Amino acid sequence: MRAALSRFSTEKPVLVYAIVALLTLVCGAMIAGIRIDTDPENMLQADQPDRVYHNEAEERFGIHDAIVVGVVNETHPDGIYNADSLSVLHELTRRIETLDGVVVADLMSLASSDNISQEGPGVIRFEWMMKDAPVSDDEARAIRAKVERLPMLVDTLVSGDGQAAAIYVPIESKDLSYPLSQEIRAIADSIETDSDIHITGLPVAEDTFGHDMFVQMGISAPLAGLMIFLLMLYFFRSPVLVIAPMLVAMATVLITMGILIGMGFTVHIMSSMIPIFLMPIAVVDSVHIMSEFADRYTSERTAKETIREVVGHLFTPMLYTSLTSAIGFLSLLLTPIPPVQIFGAFVAFGILLAFLLTIVLIPAYVVRMKPASLAKLDRPAEATAVDTPLARALRVAGRTAVRHGKLITAAAVVVIAISVAGIYKIEINDNPVRWFKANHPIRVADRVLNDHFAGTYDSAVVFSRDAEGARLQFVADARPLAEVLDPGVQSTVMAELDASGDDIGAYYGNLIAAIDDALFEVVESEQVLRLEELMSLAEAAQFDSKYFQRPDVLRSIEQIQEALQASGYVGKTSAVTDVVKVVNRELRGGDPANYVIPDTPEAVAQTLLQFQSSHRPHDLWHILTPDLTSAAIWVQLTSGDNKDMSRVLDFLDAYLEENPLPPDVEMHWAGKNFINVVWQDNMVNGMLSSLGSAFAAVFIMMALLFRSIRIGLLAMVPLSITIVGVYGIIGWIGKDYDMPIAVLSSLTLGLSVDFAIHFIERCRALMRHSGSFDTAMREVFEEPARAIARNAIVIAIGFTPLFFAPLVPYITVGAFMAAIMALSGVTTLIVLPALMSWAGPWLFVEQRRQGVFTAAAQPA
Amino acid sequence: MRTLLTVTSLILALPSFAADALTDADEIVTNANLASYYAGADGRSEVRMIITDSQGRQQRRQFTVLRRNVEEAGDQQFLVVFSQPSDVRNTVFLVDKHLERDDDRWLYLPGLDLVKRISAGDKRTSFVGAHYFYEDVSGRRPSDDEHVLVETTDDYYVLDHTPKDAGTVEFASYTTWVDRQTFLPMKIEYRNAAGDVYRRVEVTGVEEFDGHPTVTTSRVSDLQTGGKTDMQFRFIKYDVGLPEDVFTERSLRSPPREWLARPKD
Repeated sequence: MRAALSRFSTEKPVLVYAIVALLTLVCGAMIAGIRIDTDPENMLQADQPDRVYHNEAEERFGIHDAIVVGVVNETHPDGIYNADSLSVLHELTRRIETLDGVVVADLMSLASSDNISQEGPGVIRFEWMMKDAPVSDDEARAIRAKVERLPMLVDTLVSGDGQAAAIYVPIESKDLSYPLSQEIRAIADSIETDSDIHITGLPVAEDTFGHDMFVQMGISAPLAGLMIFLLMLYFFRSPVLVIAPMLVAMATVLITMGILIGMGFTVHIMSSMIPIFLMPIAVVDSVHIMSEFADRYTSERTAKETIREVVGHLFTPMLYTSLTSAIGFLSLLLTPIPPVQIFGAFVAFGILLAFLLTIVLIPAYVVRMKPASLAKLDRPAEATAVDTPLARALRVAGRTAVRHGKLITAAAVVVIAISVAGIYKIEINDNPVRWFKANHPIRVADRVLNDHFAGTYDSAVVFSRDAEGARLQFVADARPLAEVLDPGVQSTVMAELDASGDDIGAYYGNLIAAIDDALFEVVESEQVLRLEELMSLAEAAQFDSKYFQRPDVLRSIEQIQEALQASGYVGKTSAVTDVVKVVNRELRGGDPANYVIPDTPEAVAQTLLQFQSSHRPHDLWHILTPDLTSAAIWVQLTSGDNKDMSRVLDFLDAYLEENPLPPDVEMHWAGKNFINVVWQDNMVNGMLSSLGSAFAAVFIMMALLFRSIRIGLLAMVPLSITIVGVYGIIGWIGKDYDMPIAVLSSLTLGLSVDFAIHFIERCRALMRHSGSFDTAMREVFEEPARAIARNAIVIAIGFTPLFFAPLVPYITVGAFMAAIMALSGVTTLIVLPALMSWAGPWLFVEQRRQGVFTAAAQPA
Repeated sequence: MRTLLTVTSLILALPSFAADALTDADEIVTNANLASYYAGADGRSEVRMIITDSQGRQQRRQFTVLRRNVEEAGDQQFLVVFSQPSDVRNTVFLVDKHLERDDDRWLYLPGLDLVKRISAGDKRTSFVGAHYFYEDVSGRRPSDDEHVLVETTDDYYVLDHTPKDAGTVEFASYTTWVDRQTFLPMKIEYRNAAGDVYRRVEVTGVEEFDGHPTVTTSRVSDLQTGGKTDMQFRFIKYDVGLPEDVFTERSLRSPPREWLARPKD
């Protein structure tokens, strides 16, 4: 196959060009259909149970994604409670309400809040908190007095310090968040005020993120291409030689991205980095071929012959380095995070594609080269007399490594030990908001709002009580009574009794209505008695189903809220308890002593009935379901750090361990903040298995390639040291282990084994050729070491344009890729020869038998 | 005698039907107000309310309304006593509706054993969680709006109403379709400042009780949220002779059983 490919590409170069060009055009055209995905939820599979529950809970409690608008006044002594700031808040609210795509009914602002207040003894008043904007500062201060009586509003709509107010603008669909946030920005800009207006919120962050991703792909990736081109030009000083690898890289990137997009995958933050990963990797193989071709080509032979020979010679090592790199990325498929999987799969595909293109396109390119260009390559093969700083440094490195083998090995062991200690210090944490740079408007808004409020990061503790068991018991109890009803009324009652219990509120409501109707129709006293008995059974069952209006249940929710608050880990909690307590207090005259849960379910039911007699009865259904079988505690955190959320999760778990819920009540977390923790956990565990299996697979391939388990082990040394070293650095410098950091392990594995393969392969060939270990060690630090060093530098520097990327994960990846390349280059060129210097005879059994280790060095 | 009168009026009415159409908006509104809220000297009705949210989840309420006109087209008294669900049973509202001043409203919550007066404040708040407002239950004063007759169709007078004090209401205007025969408003659409209809009240059933065409089923839809409330009015009776003392604070704690009981005829 190898020969057939080689023949095909050298005999029919134009056809090869045409095929590759066509493929690139067709796939490249599919890129036009790109869809950006910035939804953090998509870090989990669509059917992932926590995600399914989260979505179900959001629907159950009517939660929409919301744009958050903050009005902040840090200079006025009364904060935002002055006529100007509140008028701004009022005007913003009214104008935002007119925008298409805003869920007006659920918009939350002081200017759309209700107030319940005392108006003299025995008189209560329900009214809008701020129907009209206050015209004087006195009026503004009066609003403060009202707000501070309502715990539901404090630190949610107005900060506790009074310096900031928030408008939560729920939107009908995420697609609208960009135009809407622009429209809101325009409204904000048109208002003359001393107050600062901030616009943030998850949908805005996602949109901005998507935009910045485009910038990254449009600027950083081409920049990386340019960088690599210039670097190679510097190393090879021949544009002709360098253009071919660039063509391979471009075709690889365009075809891979085209197929990814054409297959209907969305481009996520991970997949947006595919071009920048593929570019250096794709270049490397073709550089090998081109530079070896340049070395071997003389005018006595045809280019065709030479290139066939070169490809034949490099095919196996290139196949292995490509396969091992591909395996490193493919191992990401074991991490249950779809964007990471897609990234891994397509980078792996791209690597294999680059390999194929290299062995097909490069020979075609070479045979199409003009004689003049070829003639320029016909120069004395790179002699041993190369005298560049790099060459000199490598020779010194090689000598030192062999001479102080044991010392260097000992030093490596120390470095590993220090790194392992660093790994134990690694803190696992991510926070999508921190993917923006610190001075980004979204980060600024995030900081300002979380400084003032009890937190803009929401999650919910959802409680649900199973009502179906009790309902089935009720049906069993009621059926005998229903069966002896008069035929005239029996069928309607029976139909309701046998109806579905999906909506438990509707079920009992309909049944009770049917019994009530029947009671009016029957005349016989025995029938009346039966129906009345049925009625009282049904009412009792209905009463029992309304679990979350039981005072004891509400008090245990209250205790959970108090415990969470006391833990110091949460900014604020909100639940139905707060509503019930406020209404109870106001109904009983406003005395703070009555800020308690009433003593009977009926009393709770009637406070809820009163709450619903407001302008916004539906607000209740964000914390309770209408059938009262499920309730939520909303938890606000001032930080989006997963570690902070994890602490809350652990705290509640421990609390519920001590104070268990009744067996028929189930607790589950929901909310974006929680989802982030779930995918982070998946990622950490997934990465461990990815790394483990990739490690094993690469080791097996190494053992096969070198036909020796010992040499296989040796080949794993540089990448092991690199992985341990890089994560050690991460631990010591205190960088959080986040998504981009997690993915690096597999990349390291795939890339740094390449160097080891080339190094060991060349060492073996040189030992065979020279018959002396010492000679081989000297020669390997000439051209082979230079090739490895050049590749490491090309890849490392190729990633540096990422430093200019607008988003932090790209910068992280750029920095660490450079570090990984440097580290694995160094370990390959220093630690491998050091190890071989004293463990060589044990490692290279065959060569030992041939006396390679006892033979004297040949003169240089 | 009564039959004869009816027949005579029918004969008289038929040929001159079109010519009889009213042209004065205020007169139509006055008639509509009378037909909707003032039938008989007093009346009782049992109301079943099914509140459905945008997700189709239902809540039910059932209550009895007793009404007494203090004077024709003038002040009125209402007593609303809840019977279902059982956890709000015997919750009572008492309303003294006044044309010349703010209404008086009382509330009794048996679970808290509490009588409260509710300040007039805003009458356009939800009635116990329904998509109906308090004002829909007791009726909006015709004098609060300017009325314009925009169209007279074969069946309806179509009127536009704009509030005199826009600051007290959430709508910018509303349109009613008043049945030309019964003067019952069969459809009301409320518009916001942008001119979009966001709320609709529809009458879906009318029956005659004691000579008064009466709404038996109606629905209000919240077009913003997709929620709706259906109302069924049953056991309707007019001129039952409700005494004035039924509508006093005493009835809050001890509802007048004899007047609340269903008429068995």
